[in-house]
Amino acid sequence: MADSAAAPVVRVEHLSKHYGARRAVSDVSFDMRPGEVMGLLGPNGSGKSTILRILTGYLQPSSGSAQVCGMDVVSRSLEARRCVGYVPEDVPLYAQMRVHEFLTFMGRLRGLEGAGCARAIEEVFERLSFGQFRGQLIGKLSRGYRQRVAIAQALLGRPKLLVLDEPTNGLDPRQIIEVRELIRALAGDMAILVTSHILVEIERVAHRVAILLDGRLLGVHALADARMGLEELFLSLTEGEPR
Amino acid sequence: MRVFRALLDKELRALYQAPVAWIVIGVFLGLMGYSFTLTLFNNRYATLVHIFFQAAGLLLLIVPIITMRLLAEERRAGTLELLLTAPVKESHVVLAKYLAGMSVVLLMIGLTASYAVVLGLYGTPEWGAIYSGYLGLALLASTLVSLGLAASALTSNQVIAAIVAIGISFFLWMVDTLAAMLPDGLERVFISLSLLARFTPFATGAMYTSDAGFFVSTTLLALFIAMRALARR
Repeated sequence: MADSAAAPVVRVEHLSKHYGARRAVSDVSFDMRPGEVMGLLGPNGSGKSTILRILTGYLQPSSGSAQVCGMDVVSRSLEARRCVGYVPEDVPLYAQMRVHEFLTFMGRLRGLEGAGCARAIEEVFERLSFGQFRGQLIGKLSRGYRQRVAIAQALLGRPKLLVLDEPTNGLDPRQIIEVRELIRALAGDMAILVTSHILVEIERVAHRVAILLDGRLLGVHALADARMGLEELFLSLTEGEPR
Repeated sequence: MRVFRALLDKELRALYQAPVAWIVIGVFLGLMGYSFTLTLFNNRYATLVHIFFQAAGLLLLIVPIITMRLLAEERRAGTLELLLTAPVKESHVVLAKYLAGMSVVLLMIGLTASYAVVLGLYGTPEWGAIYSGYLGLALLASTLVSLGLAASALTSNQVIAAIVAIGISFFLWMVDTLAAMLPDGLERVFISLSLLARFTPFATGAMYTSDAGFFVSTTLLALFIAMRALARR
Protein backbone atom coordinates (compact mmCIF):
# COMPACT_ATOMS: atom_id res chain seq x y z
CA MET A 1 0.00 0.00 0.00
CA ALA A 2 1.10 3.57 -0.60
CA ASP A 3 3.35 5.28 1.93
CA SER A 4 1.61 8.62 2.45
CA ALA A 5 4.55 10.15 4.38
CA ALA A 6 7.14 9.39 1.70
CA ALA A 7 8.20 11.84 -1.01
CA PRO A 8 6.05 11.53 -4.12
CA VAL A 9 7.33 9.35 -6.96
CA VAL A 10 5.35 11.43 -9.45
CA ARG A 11 4.50 15.09 -9.16
CA VAL A 12 2.57 16.71 -11.99
CA GLU A 13 1.78 20.42 -11.75
CA HIS A 14 -0.40 22.41 -14.15
CA LEU A 15 0.66 20.20 -17.02
CA SER A 16 -0.57 21.12 -20.49
CA LYS A 17 0.18 19.81 -23.95
CA HIS A 18 -1.01 21.38 -27.19
CA TYR A 19 -0.63 20.12 -30.74
CA GLY A 20 -1.01 23.35 -32.66
CA ALA A 21 -4.49 24.61 -31.80
CA ARG A 22 -5.60 21.25 -30.41
CA ARG A 23 -5.44 20.87 -26.64
CA ALA A 24 -4.49 17.30 -25.63
CA VAL A 25 -3.87 17.94 -21.91
CA SER A 26 -4.95 21.02 -20.03
CA ASP A 27 -3.75 22.14 -16.58
CA VAL A 28 -3.48 18.67 -15.02
CA SER A 29 -2.01 18.28 -11.51
CA PHE A 30 -1.64 15.17 -9.34
CA ASP A 31 0.97 13.20 -7.47
CA MET A 32 1.71 9.59 -6.62
CA ARG A 33 3.31 8.00 -3.55
CA PRO A 34 5.67 5.01 -3.52
CA GLY A 35 3.82 1.70 -3.75
CA GLU A 36 0.62 3.29 -4.95
CA VAL A 37 -1.39 2.07 -7.92
CA MET A 38 -3.07 4.95 -9.66
CA GLY A 39 -5.50 4.62 -12.52
CA LEU A 40 -5.92 7.21 -15.25
CA LEU A 41 -9.45 6.75 -16.48
CA GLY A 42 -11.07 8.46 -19.41
CA PRO A 43 -12.53 7.88 -22.83
CA ASN A 44 -10.31 7.54 -25.91
CA GLY A 45 -8.67 10.87 -26.71
CA SER A 46 -8.98 12.20 -23.16
CA GLY A 47 -5.21 12.74 -22.82
CA LYS A 48 -4.22 9.64 -20.82
CA SER A 49 -1.50 8.45 -23.17
CA THR A 50 -0.18 11.99 -23.62
CA ILE A 51 0.34 12.33 -19.87
CA LEU A 52 2.16 8.98 -19.79
CA ARG A 53 4.35 10.00 -22.72
CA ILE A 54 5.30 13.21 -20.96
CA LEU A 55 6.14 11.32 -17.75
CA THR A 56 8.30 8.85 -19.67
CA GLY A 57 10.17 11.64 -21.48
CA TYR A 58 8.82 10.80 -24.93
CA LEU A 59 6.87 14.05 -25.27
CA GLN A 60 7.67 17.49 -23.92
CA PRO A 61 4.95 19.46 -22.15
CA SER A 62 3.78 22.76 -23.62
CA SER A 63 3.59 24.22 -20.11
CA GLY A 64 3.59 23.10 -16.50
CA SER A 65 5.97 20.57 -15.02
CA ALA A 66 6.26 16.88 -14.28
CA GLN A 67 8.74 15.21 -11.95
CA VAL A 68 9.57 11.55 -11.52
CA CYS A 69 11.54 10.55 -8.41
CA GLY A 70 12.15 14.26 -7.79
CA MET A 71 13.66 14.83 -11.23
CA ASP A 72 12.13 17.06 -13.83
CA VAL A 73 11.26 15.04 -16.94
CA VAL A 74 12.51 17.81 -19.24
CA SER A 75 15.64 19.23 -17.61
CA ARG A 76 16.78 15.92 -16.09
CA SER A 77 15.15 13.63 -18.59
CA LEU A 78 17.82 10.91 -18.67
CA GLU A 79 17.90 10.53 -14.87
CA ALA A 80 14.11 10.59 -14.66
CA ARG A 81 13.87 7.87 -17.33
CA ARG A 82 16.16 5.63 -15.26
CA CYS A 83 13.40 5.50 -12.62
CA VAL A 84 10.66 4.50 -15.06
CA GLY A 85 9.61 1.24 -16.68
CA TYR A 86 7.16 1.82 -19.52
CA VAL A 87 4.84 -0.42 -21.50
CA PRO A 88 3.34 1.55 -24.42
CA GLU A 89 -0.21 0.83 -25.57
CA ASP A 90 0.42 -1.14 -28.76
CA VAL A 91 3.29 -3.15 -27.24
CA PRO A 92 5.89 -2.19 -29.84
CA LEU A 93 8.73 -4.74 -29.78
CA TYR A 94 11.50 -5.83 -32.15
CA ALA A 95 9.77 -8.72 -33.90
CA GLN A 96 13.00 -10.09 -35.40
CA MET A 97 14.67 -10.46 -31.99
CA ARG A 98 14.43 -13.45 -29.69
CA VAL A 99 12.95 -12.86 -26.24
CA HIS A 100 16.22 -13.28 -24.34
CA GLU A 101 18.14 -11.16 -26.86
CA PHE A 102 15.58 -8.38 -26.57
CA LEU A 103 15.59 -8.40 -22.77
CA THR A 104 19.41 -8.37 -22.76
CA PHE A 105 19.36 -5.37 -25.09
CA MET A 106 16.82 -3.49 -22.96
CA GLY A 107 18.74 -4.43 -19.80
CA ARG A 108 21.95 -3.02 -21.27
CA LEU A 109 20.12 0.22 -22.10
CA ARG A 110 19.23 0.39 -18.41
CA GLY A 111 22.85 -0.02 -17.42
CA LEU A 112 22.72 -3.74 -16.58
CA GLU A 113 25.72 -5.78 -17.72
CA GLY A 114 26.94 -9.37 -17.64
CA ALA A 115 25.90 -11.44 -14.63
CA GLY A 116 23.74 -8.63 -13.22
CA CYS A 117 21.76 -8.43 -16.46
CA ALA A 118 21.38 -12.22 -16.65
CA ARG A 119 20.15 -12.30 -13.05
CA ALA A 120 17.63 -9.51 -13.69
CA ILE A 121 16.31 -11.35 -16.75
CA GLU A 122 15.93 -14.61 -14.83
CA GLU A 123 14.04 -12.68 -12.15
CA VAL A 124 11.51 -11.32 -14.62
CA PHE A 125 11.18 -14.71 -16.34
CA GLU A 126 10.31 -16.20 -12.97
CA ARG A 127 8.01 -13.38 -11.94
CA LEU A 128 6.06 -13.46 -15.20
CA SER A 129 6.32 -17.25 -15.71
CA PHE A 130 7.39 -17.32 -19.33
CA GLY A 131 11.01 -18.50 -19.21
CA GLN A 132 10.15 -21.32 -21.62
CA PHE A 133 9.81 -18.70 -24.40
CA ARG A 134 13.28 -17.20 -23.97
CA GLY A 135 14.51 -18.57 -27.31
CA GLN A 136 11.37 -17.66 -29.30
CA LEU A 137 11.24 -14.96 -31.93
CA ILE A 138 9.12 -12.12 -30.54
CA GLY A 139 7.25 -11.82 -33.85
CA LYS A 140 5.96 -15.38 -33.41
CA LEU A 141 4.57 -14.89 -29.90
CA SER A 142 0.86 -14.44 -29.16
CA ARG A 143 -0.40 -11.01 -28.08
CA GLY A 144 -0.54 -12.16 -24.45
CA TYR A 145 3.09 -13.28 -24.40
CA ARG A 146 4.24 -10.17 -26.25
CA GLN A 147 2.53 -8.21 -23.49
CA ARG A 148 4.54 -10.21 -20.93
CA VAL A 149 7.77 -9.47 -22.80
CA ALA A 150 6.89 -5.76 -22.81
CA ILE A 151 6.17 -5.81 -19.07
CA ALA A 152 9.35 -7.81 -18.46
CA GLN A 153 11.54 -5.21 -20.18
CA ALA A 154 9.84 -2.49 -18.14
CA LEU A 155 10.66 -4.32 -14.88
CA LEU A 156 14.38 -4.69 -15.66
CA GLY A 157 16.47 -2.58 -13.33
CA ARG A 158 13.65 -2.43 -10.75
CA PRO A 159 12.13 0.94 -11.65
CA LYS A 160 10.47 3.04 -8.97
CA LEU A 161 7.60 3.81 -11.33
CA LEU A 162 5.92 1.37 -13.69
CA VAL A 163 3.79 2.98 -16.39
CA LEU A 164 1.28 0.76 -18.20
CA ASP A 165 -0.74 2.19 -21.08
CA GLU A 166 -3.94 0.18 -21.59
CA PRO A 167 -2.24 -3.05 -20.47
CA THR A 168 -5.25 -5.30 -21.02
CA ASN A 169 -6.03 -4.16 -24.58
CA GLY A 170 -6.39 -7.09 -26.95
CA LEU A 171 -5.94 -9.76 -24.26
CA ASP A 172 -8.25 -12.70 -23.67
CA PRO A 173 -10.11 -12.96 -20.31
CA ARG A 174 -7.51 -15.24 -18.71
CA GLN A 175 -4.67 -12.95 -19.74
CA ILE A 176 -6.58 -9.93 -18.42
CA ILE A 177 -6.89 -11.62 -15.03
CA GLU A 178 -3.16 -12.45 -15.09
CA VAL A 179 -2.23 -8.83 -15.81
CA ARG A 180 -4.47 -7.65 -12.97
CA GLU A 181 -2.85 -10.13 -10.60
CA LEU A 182 0.56 -9.03 -11.73
CA ILE A 183 -0.24 -5.37 -11.06
CA ARG A 184 -1.50 -6.26 -7.58
CA ALA A 185 1.63 -8.33 -6.92
CA LEU A 186 3.96 -5.55 -8.06
CA ALA A 187 2.17 -2.84 -6.07
CA GLY A 188 4.14 -2.03 -2.97
CA ASP A 189 7.47 -2.68 -4.67
CA MET A 190 6.92 0.27 -6.99
CA ALA A 191 4.36 2.91 -7.88
CA ILE A 192 2.22 1.90 -10.84
CA LEU A 193 0.42 4.29 -13.14
CA VAL A 194 -2.06 2.46 -15.32
CA THR A 195 -4.45 3.83 -17.93
CA SER A 196 -7.68 2.37 -19.16
CA HIS A 197 -10.93 3.46 -20.71
CA ILE A 198 -12.63 0.53 -19.00
CA LEU A 199 -14.02 1.30 -15.55
CA VAL A 200 -13.74 -2.18 -14.14
CA GLU A 201 -10.07 -2.49 -15.08
CA ILE A 202 -9.19 0.51 -12.94
CA GLU A 203 -11.58 -0.44 -10.14
CA ARG A 204 -9.96 -3.85 -9.78
CA VAL A 205 -6.36 -2.72 -9.44
CA ALA A 206 -6.05 0.94 -8.44
CA HIS A 207 -5.86 2.58 -5.02
CA ARG A 208 -6.73 5.96 -6.52
CA VAL A 209 -8.23 7.05 -9.79
CA ALA A 210 -7.77 10.24 -11.79
CA ILE A 211 -10.65 10.88 -14.17
CA LEU A 212 -9.87 12.71 -17.40
CA LEU A 213 -12.13 14.17 -20.03
CA ASP A 214 -11.00 16.16 -23.07
CA GLY A 215 -7.57 16.63 -21.54
CA ARG A 216 -8.93 18.05 -18.28
CA LEU A 217 -8.61 16.36 -14.91
CA LEU A 218 -12.10 16.14 -13.39
CA GLY A 219 -10.93 14.75 -10.08
CA VAL A 220 -8.69 12.34 -8.19
CA HIS A 221 -10.41 9.91 -5.83
CA ALA A 222 -9.31 7.18 -3.44
CA LEU A 223 -11.35 4.13 -4.39
CA ALA A 224 -11.40 2.66 -0.86
CA ASP A 225 -12.90 5.87 0.56
CA ALA A 226 -15.38 6.53 -2.21
CA ARG A 227 -18.96 6.28 -1.03
CA MET A 228 -20.09 5.35 -4.49
CA GLY A 229 -18.77 2.89 -7.05
CA LEU A 230 -16.45 4.05 -9.80
CA GLU A 231 -19.27 3.93 -12.33
CA GLU A 232 -21.42 6.33 -10.35
CA LEU A 233 -18.39 8.49 -9.59
CA PHE A 234 -17.50 8.72 -13.28
CA LEU A 235 -21.09 9.54 -14.24
CA SER A 236 -21.42 12.19 -11.54
CA LEU A 237 -18.17 13.88 -12.60
CA THR A 238 -18.92 13.81 -16.32
CA GLU A 239 -22.56 14.82 -15.97
CA GLY A 240 -23.31 17.83 -18.13
CA GLU A 241 -20.03 17.51 -20.02
CA PRO A 242 -20.27 17.53 -23.82
CA ARG A 243 -19.99 14.00 -25.31
CA MET B 1 29.57 4.20 -23.36
CA ARG B 2 28.04 0.82 -22.43
CA VAL B 3 24.64 2.01 -23.57
CA PHE B 4 26.14 3.17 -26.86
CA ARG B 5 27.77 -0.25 -27.34
CA ALA B 6 24.41 -1.92 -26.75
CA LEU B 7 22.79 0.33 -29.37
CA LEU B 8 25.59 -0.26 -31.87
CA ASP B 9 25.50 -4.04 -31.37
CA LYS B 10 21.76 -4.05 -31.98
CA GLU B 11 22.06 -1.94 -35.14
CA LEU B 12 24.88 -4.05 -36.56
CA ARG B 13 22.96 -7.24 -35.89
CA ALA B 14 19.77 -5.84 -37.43
CA LEU B 15 21.60 -4.67 -40.58
CA TYR B 16 23.69 -7.80 -41.17
CA GLN B 17 20.88 -10.23 -40.33
CA ALA B 18 18.59 -8.66 -42.92
CA PRO B 19 19.02 -9.79 -46.53
CA VAL B 20 18.90 -6.21 -47.87
CA ALA B 21 22.49 -5.38 -46.91
CA TRP B 22 23.87 -8.55 -48.53
CA ILE B 23 21.82 -8.10 -51.70
CA VAL B 24 22.98 -4.51 -52.01
CA ILE B 25 26.63 -5.53 -51.44
CA GLY B 26 26.27 -8.32 -54.02
CA VAL B 27 24.73 -6.06 -56.67
CA PHE B 28 27.34 -3.35 -56.03
CA LEU B 29 30.28 -5.76 -56.32
CA GLY B 30 28.77 -7.46 -59.39
CA LEU B 31 28.43 -4.17 -61.27
CA MET B 32 31.82 -2.90 -60.15
CA GLY B 33 33.58 -6.16 -61.04
CA TYR B 34 32.01 -6.18 -64.50
CA SER B 35 33.04 -2.58 -65.11
CA PHE B 36 36.59 -3.10 -63.76
CA THR B 37 37.22 -6.18 -65.93
CA LEU B 38 35.80 -4.61 -69.07
CA THR B 39 37.76 -1.35 -68.69
CA LEU B 40 40.99 -3.13 -67.82
CA PHE B 41 40.83 -5.35 -70.90
CA ASN B 42 39.90 -2.46 -73.18
CA ASN B 43 42.30 0.24 -71.88
CA ARG B 44 45.09 -1.76 -70.23
CA TYR B 45 45.92 1.16 -67.86
CA ALA B 46 46.72 0.47 -64.21
CA THR B 47 44.28 3.04 -62.86
CA LEU B 48 41.07 3.00 -60.81
CA VAL B 49 39.84 6.51 -61.61
CA HIS B 50 36.83 5.28 -63.61
CA ILE B 51 36.06 2.76 -60.85
CA PHE B 52 35.98 5.54 -58.26
CA PHE B 53 33.51 7.57 -60.32
CA GLN B 54 31.34 4.56 -61.00
CA ALA B 55 31.38 3.58 -57.32
CA ALA B 56 30.40 7.14 -56.37
CA GLY B 57 27.49 7.04 -58.84
CA LEU B 58 26.28 3.71 -57.48
CA LEU B 59 26.59 4.94 -53.89
CA LEU B 60 24.12 7.74 -54.66
CA LEU B 61 21.52 5.05 -55.42
CA ILE B 62 22.55 2.32 -53.01
CA VAL B 63 23.23 4.17 -49.76
CA PRO B 64 19.61 5.40 -49.39
CA ILE B 65 18.46 1.77 -49.70
CA ILE B 66 20.68 0.88 -46.74
CA THR B 67 19.70 3.90 -44.64
CA MET B 68 15.98 4.11 -45.44
CA ARG B 69 14.85 1.78 -42.67
CA LEU B 70 17.24 2.91 -39.94
CA LEU B 71 14.86 5.33 -38.20
CA ALA B 72 11.73 5.23 -40.39
CA GLU B 73 11.11 1.60 -39.51
CA GLU B 74 11.55 2.27 -35.77
CA ARG B 75 9.01 5.07 -36.07
CA ARG B 76 6.54 2.95 -38.06
CA ALA B 77 6.77 -0.04 -35.73
CA GLY B 78 6.54 2.14 -32.62
CA THR B 79 9.85 0.84 -31.24
CA LEU B 80 11.23 4.37 -31.35
CA GLU B 81 8.96 5.12 -28.37
CA LEU B 82 10.42 2.16 -26.50
CA LEU B 83 13.95 3.25 -27.35
CA LEU B 84 13.56 6.93 -26.49
CA THR B 85 11.76 6.30 -23.20
CA ALA B 86 14.71 4.16 -22.06
CA PRO B 87 17.59 6.09 -20.48
CA VAL B 88 19.25 6.69 -23.84
CA LYS B 89 20.50 9.89 -25.48
CA GLU B 90 19.10 10.74 -28.92
CA SER B 91 22.65 11.44 -30.09
CA HIS B 92 23.68 7.88 -29.19
CA VAL B 93 20.75 6.42 -31.12
CA VAL B 94 21.65 8.45 -34.21
CA LEU B 95 25.41 7.79 -33.96
CA ALA B 96 24.90 4.04 -33.52
CA LYS B 97 22.73 3.94 -36.63
CA TYR B 98 25.19 6.10 -38.57
CA LEU B 99 28.14 3.83 -37.67
CA ALA B 100 26.19 0.68 -38.50
CA GLY B 101 25.21 2.13 -41.90
CA MET B 102 28.80 3.25 -42.52
CA SER B 103 30.11 -0.22 -41.70
CA VAL B 104 28.05 -1.75 -44.53
CA VAL B 105 29.13 0.90 -47.05
CA LEU B 106 32.79 0.71 -46.01
CA LEU B 107 32.69 -3.09 -46.27
CA MET B 108 31.27 -2.71 -49.76
CA ILE B 109 33.95 -0.19 -50.77
CA GLY B 110 36.69 -2.13 -48.98
CA LEU B 111 35.94 -5.29 -50.97
CA THR B 112 36.72 -3.40 -54.20
CA ALA B 113 40.31 -3.01 -52.93
CA SER B 114 40.86 -6.41 -54.54
CA TYR B 115 40.95 -4.49 -57.87
CA ALA B 116 43.89 -2.45 -56.61
CA VAL B 117 45.63 -5.69 -55.62
CA VAL B 118 45.11 -7.03 -59.15
CA LEU B 119 46.56 -3.83 -60.61
CA GLY B 120 49.53 -4.09 -58.24
CA LEU B 121 50.21 -7.69 -59.27
CA TYR B 122 50.08 -7.13 -63.02
CA GLY B 123 51.04 -3.45 -63.41
CA THR B 124 52.53 -0.40 -61.73
CA PRO B 125 49.61 1.71 -60.49
CA GLU B 126 50.07 5.10 -58.86
CA TRP B 127 49.31 4.17 -55.26
CA GLY B 128 48.88 7.72 -54.01
CA ALA B 129 45.97 8.24 -56.39
CA ILE B 130 44.40 4.96 -55.30
CA TYR B 131 44.63 5.85 -51.58
CA SER B 132 43.18 9.28 -52.28
CA GLY B 133 40.34 7.76 -54.32
CA TYR B 134 39.39 5.41 -51.51
CA LEU B 135 39.55 8.23 -48.96
CA GLY B 136 37.25 10.26 -51.22
CA LEU B 137 34.80 7.38 -51.49
CA ALA B 138 34.77 6.95 -47.69
CA LEU B 139 34.13 10.68 -47.17
CA LEU B 140 31.40 10.72 -49.82
CA ALA B 141 29.84 7.63 -48.22
CA SER B 142 29.84 9.39 -44.85
CA THR B 143 27.91 12.34 -46.27
CA LEU B 144 25.45 10.06 -48.08
CA VAL B 145 24.83 7.82 -45.03
CA SER B 146 24.16 10.83 -42.80
CA LEU B 147 21.85 12.40 -45.43
CA GLY B 148 19.97 9.11 -45.69
CA LEU B 149 19.73 8.89 -41.92
CA ALA B 150 18.35 12.43 -41.71
CA ALA B 151 15.71 11.57 -44.35
CA SER B 152 14.85 8.41 -42.43
CA ALA B 153 14.45 10.43 -39.21
CA LEU B 154 11.85 12.70 -40.79
CA THR B 155 9.30 10.07 -41.85
CA SER B 156 7.84 6.72 -40.87
CA ASN B 157 7.73 5.58 -44.50
CA GLN B 158 10.87 3.82 -45.72
CA VAL B 159 10.09 4.40 -49.39
CA ILE B 160 9.65 8.13 -48.86
CA ALA B 161 12.90 8.19 -46.86
CA ALA B 162 14.75 6.48 -49.73
CA ILE B 163 13.27 8.72 -52.44
CA VAL B 164 14.01 11.91 -50.48
CA ALA B 165 17.57 10.77 -49.78
CA ILE B 166 18.18 9.82 -53.45
CA GLY B 167 16.71 13.16 -54.57
CA ILE B 168 18.89 15.22 -52.22
CA SER B 169 21.99 13.16 -52.97
CA PHE B 170 21.60 13.51 -56.77
CA PHE B 171 20.80 17.21 -56.48
CA LEU B 172 23.95 17.81 -54.40
CA TRP B 173 25.97 15.64 -56.78
CA MET B 174 25.17 17.71 -59.83
CA VAL B 175 24.25 21.10 -58.34
CA ASP B 176 27.31 22.65 -60.03
CA THR B 177 25.59 22.20 -63.40
CA LEU B 178 23.30 25.06 -62.38
CA ALA B 179 26.28 27.32 -61.79
CA ALA B 180 26.64 28.38 -65.43
CA MET B 181 23.18 29.95 -65.32
CA LEU B 182 23.81 31.96 -62.17
CA PRO B 183 25.54 35.27 -61.40
CA ASP B 184 29.17 35.15 -60.24
CA GLY B 185 28.66 35.11 -56.45
CA LEU B 186 26.05 32.38 -56.53
CA GLU B 187 27.97 30.39 -59.09
CA ARG B 188 30.80 29.88 -56.62
CA VAL B 189 28.39 28.84 -53.87
CA PHE B 190 26.73 26.21 -56.05
CA ILE B 191 30.06 24.79 -57.20
CA SER B 192 31.26 24.60 -53.60
CA LEU B 193 28.14 22.64 -52.64
CA SER B 194 28.60 20.06 -55.40
CA LEU B 195 29.49 16.56 -54.24
CA LEU B 196 30.92 15.86 -57.71
CA ALA B 197 33.16 18.93 -57.61
CA ARG B 198 34.37 17.95 -54.13
CA PHE B 199 34.88 14.30 -55.01
CA THR B 200 36.69 14.74 -58.35
CA PRO B 201 40.06 15.86 -56.86
CA PHE B 202 40.11 12.78 -54.57
CA ALA B 203 39.29 10.43 -57.46
CA THR B 204 42.06 11.89 -59.61
CA GLY B 205 44.70 11.78 -56.89
CA ALA B 206 44.59 15.31 -55.48
CA MET B 207 43.55 15.74 -51.85
CA TYR B 208 42.47 19.10 -50.41
CA THR B 209 41.60 19.66 -46.78
CA SER B 210 38.81 22.02 -47.87
CA ASP B 211 37.10 19.13 -49.73
CA ALA B 212 37.57 16.77 -46.78
CA GLY B 213 36.21 19.52 -44.50
CA PHE B 214 33.15 19.86 -46.73
CA PHE B 215 32.33 16.15 -46.45
CA VAL B 216 32.89 16.18 -42.67
CA SER B 217 30.74 19.33 -42.27
CA THR B 218 27.85 17.97 -44.33
CA THR B 219 28.00 14.73 -42.34
CA LEU B 220 27.82 16.61 -39.03
CA LEU B 221 25.01 18.85 -40.30
CA ALA B 222 22.92 15.89 -41.49
CA LEU B 223 23.51 14.01 -38.21
CA PHE B 224 22.46 17.12 -36.31
CA ILE B 225 19.24 17.31 -38.38
CA ALA B 226 18.55 13.63 -37.60
CA MET B 227 19.06 14.27 -33.87
CA ARG B 228 16.77 17.31 -33.94
CA ALA B 229 14.13 15.28 -35.78
CA LEU B 230 14.22 12.71 -32.97
CA ALA B 231 14.21 15.34 -30.24
CA ARG B 232 11.23 17.19 -31.77
CA ARG B 233 8.35 15.23 -30.31
